[in-house]
Amino acid sequence: MAEANIQNKNNLFQLSPEGKEFVQGELSRYENKYSAIIPCLYRCQKENQGWVSPACIRYLSQIMEIPEAHIWEVAKFYTMFNKEPVGRLHIQVCCNISCALNGGRELADHLCQTYSLNAGEVSSDGMLTISRVECLGSCGTAPMMQINESYHENLNPEKAEQIINELRAKYGS
Amino acid sequence: MPKCKINGKEVDVPQGTTIIEAFKASGQEIAHYCWHPGLSVAGVCRLCMVQIEGQPKLQIACNTEVKEGMVINNNSETVKDTVRWGLDFHLINHPLDCPICDQAGECGLQEQYMQFGKYDPEMAEHKVKKCKVVDLGPTVVLDSERCILCSRCVRFTDEVSKTHELGIFERGDRSEIGTFDGKPLNNKYSLNTVDICPVGALTSKDFRFRQRVWYLKEHNTICTGCSTGCNVKVYYNEEGCWRVKPRYNPDINGYWMCDEGRDIYKFINKKNRLQEITMTEKGVSKVFQAEELLPQLGLELKNAVQKNPESVALILTGQYSCEEYQSLLNLMVKSWGLKNVFHWVNHPESMEQFDGLLLRGDKNPNTKGLLNELDLLSLTQTWKDLEEKLHRNLIKHLIVAGPENLATFSDVKEKLKLFSSANKLIWLSAGIFEGVSSVCSQVVQIPTKTFFEKEGSYINHKGMKQRVTPGVEIVKSALSLCEFVEGLHHDNKGAHFQDMDSALVDTKLKEPLKENFFTATRGSL
Ligand code: SF4
Ligand code: SF4
Ligand code: FES
Ligand code: FES
Repeated sequence: MAEANIQNKNNLFQLSPEGKEFVQGELSRYENKYSAIIPCLYRCQKENQGWVSPACIRYLSQIMEIPEAHIWEVAKFYTMFNKEPVGRLHIQVCCNISCALNGGRELADHLCQTYSLNAGEVSSDGMLTISRVECLGSCGTAPMMQINESYHENLNPEKAEQIINELRAKYGS
Repeated sequence: MPKCKINGKEVDVPQGTTIIEAFKASGQEIAHYCWHPGLSVAGVCRLCMVQIEGQPKLQIACNTEVKEGMVINNNSETVKDTVRWGLDFHLINHPLDCPICDQAGECGLQEQYMQFGKYDPEMAEHKVKKCKVVDLGPTVVLDSERCILCSRCVRFTDEVSKTHELGIFERGDRSEIGTFDGKPLNNKYSLNTVDICPVGALTSKDFRFRQRVWYLKEHNTICTGCSTGCNVKVYYNEEGCWRVKPRYNPDINGYWMCDEGRDIYKFINKKNRLQEITMTEKGVSKVFQAEELLPQLGLELKNAVQKNPESVALILTGQYSCEEYQSLLNLMVKSWGLKNVFHWVNHPESMEQFDGLLLRGDKNPNTKGLLNELDLLSLTQTWKDLEEKLHRNLIKHLIVAGPENLATFSDVKEKLKLFSSANKLIWLSAGIFEGVSSVCSQVVQIPTKTFFEKEGSYINHKGMKQRVTPGVEIVKSALSLCEFVEGLHHDNKGAHFQDMDSALVDTKLKEPLKENFFTATRGSL
């Protein structure tokens, strides 16, 4: 999986027919087509195993008629776009103030240790990536993490591990 | 026409003028980095702060329009203090490595610092380290640490060259100029980014580390690289010429010039030049002084024309000034009666090309001027006629006012082969081309002055006549075509025709350089 993703770096990328339609929709939605860059990048990330590859940028540049450099500017500005391949489960542990006060940083360290990964790394089976991120807007339920598109709140190390293990079993099969 | 007051001075400006433009128009100084008159307004450097009476907060002059009755100043303590702090923020992560920076001496940061420096900075943080040598492409190198993120270079590639290579990536103090996925900054106008970069972040591969700018002098002239005739400055010192930069001319090139044109300083320099007048016969070359050879050559040519006009031909390239064509044609056509005059076109296939911005396919500064002169004398023979005459061995003497900028003549070899059927070739050129001396049984080579060493006018593609003046002498024995003509029809040997326009030669170089020459003349960053 991870290897497939890395190969993807040089490969051509194309959105699905629905994806293309989505991009066209976004393009006609805003006064300035530059406003459509973020939703379109999200779409590519979703259809490209969780990360935005240079091939995605080239592809978007073509269909959106926006210079590559300017789409890349947006992708680089926002940390929620992954510029490197990630595992099938992308675990983002919040380490910002509220979570940090409630053990978010320790949680991130604990998970990295448990799964023998450095932050940002893809596990050898291609399943996991653990990232430390800034506030995800769920401060009242700190500490918390986001796995792919869902939030998991009021965590402690055991609970977090359990969630990850369950998901891993589910996605792994 | 709104009227406003700037630092107490009444200023009248057209509707829609921004405050910074009004400052410029009224000749007053205002600090700025990101604003450039040839680009859109970005308003990111926050250095152009002004105080407007009746408005509680300071405004940026580059993005505020002048309104009737505005009373504006940038000399109050509030403004000065704001600019001082603005500058200090720009310097938080700036490496201040001026001693090894190519921009030193013509740097916006240095200039503003002289006026607005805090001198006693209060920043205690460590500077963010970034890459100091980013190879952006074939012409430009980036030092990310020095960049103040004014975005001028990005706007240039978006708005002027329209090649969109550059962007600002990452955010906050990690922001950096760069290109997408290692794609090079590679366009025909890329070096303009180096000119407009207010600091030493973008430097030219060709010029960097070769000279300190305060040891250079500049000479205003025009680019002879193509028929556009961009207005330029050539920077030189005792050792020769080092770089070319554009000069603003709204009717011709605006603020820009192409990368190709920046190379014209190379062919002017001594090492690429023909040095002596020589005559080669049977493989033996002899060096002559102009006054020894030319009067005798003039007599020989005149007799040949008068005996048989068909036996002599004159070939002209579009590389010379109007005055030079005139004096040559006056002598040979009007007074001797020469009929065979031909126009050597170096790029017939691309003559009419234009890239939409500046660069033209006609790689000559004065094709128009030449055609005018030929027209006036009804000289209409074509290149085909010449070829035929040469093939039929009709032509014995061939005078060629050849290329000055050899790099733009890819057909010299082929042409020389054609010329070889003549008996005697008189080859005038500024540059060295291997093998010229053995083309005909007798070859006279005469070094010519380049546009940088003579006075004259050139007519560009749209008929605008522009005058150039001499910078410095580079090749002592080089002649302009006017001087060549003067020599040919001079009866008294030893006349000083070679000094004909030497009175115009700029000898200021020997004087000490005045104050800080560059900062004094760099009003527009
Ligand atoms: S490289 Fe120069 S021109 Fe470009 S943003 Fe930085 S300081 Fe401005
Ligand atoms: S466009 Fe032509 S005249 Fe202008 S700088 Fe380039 S070569 Fe010179
Ligand atoms: S600080 Fe963690 S969600 Fe806001
Ligand atoms: S010149 Fe006005 S903000 Fe930079």
